[in-house]
Amino acid sequence: MPDSKKISSISNFNKSQLQFLKYCLLFFIPVIVIYCILEILALNLPINYKVAGDYLNSHSQKIELMALGSSQVKCGFNPALSNKTAINLASTSQHHKEDFLILQGTIDRLPKLKYVLFEVSYMHLELPYHPNDYWKNNIYLKYYKVNAFERSAYFKDKLVYLSNPQFYSAKLKDYYIYKDDKVHLNKFGFDTNNYYSSFNKLDYDTSKITNNYFKIYTKENLDIFKTNTAYLFKMLDYMQSKNLNVIICTVPVYKTYLNKRNPNIVRRRDSILSVIKKKYSNVVVLNEENDSLQFTVKDFLNENHLNPDGAKKFTALVNQKLDSLSGRAQSRSN
Amino acid sequence: MLFNSFSFGLFLPITLLLYWAVGFKRIKSQNAILLIASYFFYGLWDWRFLFLIVASSLVDYFAAIAIKSSESVSKQKRYLYSSIIWNLGVLFLFKYYNFFIDEFALLFNMQQGEYGFSTLNLILPVGLSFYTFQTMSYTIDVYKNRIAPTNNLLNFLCFVGFFPQLVAGPIEKAKNLLPQFNNKRNFDQSEVKDGLRQILWGLFKKMVIADNAAYIVNMVYASPEDYGSLSLLYASVLFFFQIYGDFSGYSDIAIGTAKLFGFKLSKNFNIPYLAKSATEFWQRWHITLTRWFTDYVYFPIIKKNLRSNTRRNLAIFSTMVLIGLWHGADWTFIIFGGFQGFLIILERTPLSKDRKSSLFHKTLRPNFLFPLFSFFIITASSILFRSQNIDEVWFIFKRIFSFIPSDTIGLLINKYFLVCGFIMITAEILTRFKDFPLSKIDKYVSLPLRWIIYYILIFFIFQYAGFKEDFIYFQF
Repeated sequence: MPDSKKISSISNFNKSQLQFLKYCLLFFIPVIVIYCILEILALNLPINYKVAGDYLNSHSQKIELMALGSSQVKCGFNPALSNKTAINLASTSQHHKEDFLILQGTIDRLPKLKYVLFEVSYMHLELPYHPNDYWKNNIYLKYYKVNAFERSAYFKDKLVYLSNPQFYSAKLKDYYIYKDDKVHLNKFGFDTNNYYSSFNKLDYDTSKITNNYFKIYTKENLDIFKTNTAYLFKMLDYMQSKNLNVIICTVPVYKTYLNKRNPNIVRRRDSILSVIKKKYSNVVVLNEENDSLQFTVKDFLNENHLNPDGAKKFTALVNQKLDSLSGRAQSRSN
Repeated sequence: MLFNSFSFGLFLPITLLLYWAVGFKRIKSQNAILLIASYFFYGLWDWRFLFLIVASSLVDYFAAIAIKSSESVSKQKRYLYSSIIWNLGVLFLFKYYNFFIDEFALLFNMQQGEYGFSTLNLILPVGLSFYTFQTMSYTIDVYKNRIAPTNNLLNFLCFVGFFPQLVAGPIEKAKNLLPQFNNKRNFDQSEVKDGLRQILWGLFKKMVIADNAAYIVNMVYASPEDYGSLSLLYASVLFFFQIYGDFSGYSDIAIGTAKLFGFKLSKNFNIPYLAKSATEFWQRWHITLTRWFTDYVYFPIIKKNLRSNTRRNLAIFSTMVLIGLWHGADWTFIIFGGFQGFLIILERTPLSKDRKSSLFHKTLRPNFLFPLFSFFIITASSILFRSQNIDEVWFIFKRIFSFIPSDTIGLLINKYFLVCGFIMITAEILTRFKDFPLSKIDKYVSLPLRWIIYYILIFFIFQYAGFKEDFIYFQF
């Protein structure tokens, strides 16, 4: 008969094994301690996600408008200038899938939410969605309390530094070592000093900007287009069922960007926007992508992002749309 | 569960503690722990496919016993063929069925519904090609009297399902691995430490080299029309380092993990970028797969007529095409295999009738041309391997040779990645006669210096790890 006591007892470890265990503990303790310090420092970084998350949690009873989308909306819409109590939860590379999950994950906490602003930019319908383990899901969970993993959240999902060490290391260095003071976040998490990118470096010189290289996707992908379009309609159906008024926007881009777009992708995107306008009475479209009259070179951060001056103009345009919608807006509980 | 995941970081020490806590004299208990852990490890992906592993294991376990107990050769053959049909049938159904149906329809210009078969909506079980080949080789070896069949079902289930090598190899022969489950395992501290070092080295290759390379490669290959010739060439070379870091990193972690449990797995990579020919490349790249195909495909084809050049060349070509097809059901892989086969035949073709020198070795003198040839093979193979379809392969080749300026190449170069790549290559070349660069480092480096090296590698992993990508070879 096997000795059950002996099986369950740690005394089965021999001397060599115990020595090895000590060796491992001694080696890994500094690694774990340093990681814990990094995690705590990362959690205390005043990054825009944290500020926006804090605002979301503290003003949840008042928020009427939620802005979602990619970096274009993140840079282009300043909630401080909105004529509604607003929050901007757009972030770099955030796609419709994340937008929808954030909306679904926060809507019950926002009783006054009546408006949603989100974008259908040039490439939105032909770029694939991020996988379920996308690193920002940790951020959404930590700061917005939104589970975007589409599965149960585990302990590791709450660790922010581990989700993207390169990103956090750079932020930690900037904040704690270089004391970088370029970022000025307002209470909504919007960077009011976001001027320092390629156009600023080129002194807003249009001849230099014309020759400046920038990345633009031109590859068509009909399979992704079909999937993303179906998903977009699913989002819109959901918003309609929740009595939300929707502003679908396209954010202004600089003329060099406009010229390099693939016309087939633009045509398909525009045709979908036309269908949406006809199909959904709760949706208005704010199509500013080609607006080169109101937005001049000084309003741009780079080819496809606005700086805070551009954001001021764009937010004013959003305000005009909001005014036109106000008559229609009704409480979600009705 | 991925080797570079948080869950594996918890799973491994818990399993290890349980495994050694039961005592080294209790082989059965240790094997039972290994089996439960292995099925748990696999079940986290998709528990339904555990039934497939168990079914495959049982088919081969009983087929081998039946072969041994049958006296007539025809009966033995019947059992062997049953096992092979089962194994290849499962592989065909999950991996190749849709491909052949689609190609068949295309060949006869048929639309969906015009032919009796339709494609199936099946997920490819992770590691299917690896464990199928492993179990199949067991039955073949029993039939060939190379090994005796085991009567211990637990050990056999462990042999097929052993978690370190279950999903991406190394593909072990029963002769090497199965007896290790019968024998007592000793806790050898130096081996266990070596295992940990190999895991650390594997994680560095996977998380720092492969995942960072993947970011650039994926970006370029997502939209190749937006990039110039040099950028495409750079991304294609980088893809080789991505797949090398990914797969050899995985193999290192697998071998290192096995060492922690007292097992020895076969070496799977031997610095393939130092190969001077396609033949040598395949002796250095995925060594266990090459050995499998050599033993079970190439030798059986040539054994009837060893002297026939035509037969030998045919055997090489068909073996390499099958190796290509093993990687995936697509024409790009078939052409990839065919291309490698063609190169190997070319290298072995004698220049004169006395067979003393081959065409390849005469043509490529002086010696410095060999690395160039190797570079050409690697790049061309990378394009074939990475592209989604033949059209894309053709498009990329055409674009590279059109010498389109690459104004954006600077944006693709990440200096930290290049430094880490340089560290990997230098370390591997300097320690090329060892299993891996950190192997037995305690024999010639002092403890403080060793720890500094380990901490630097851990720092690189924490600081410069790319976005987590699935291991490429899982899909095969």
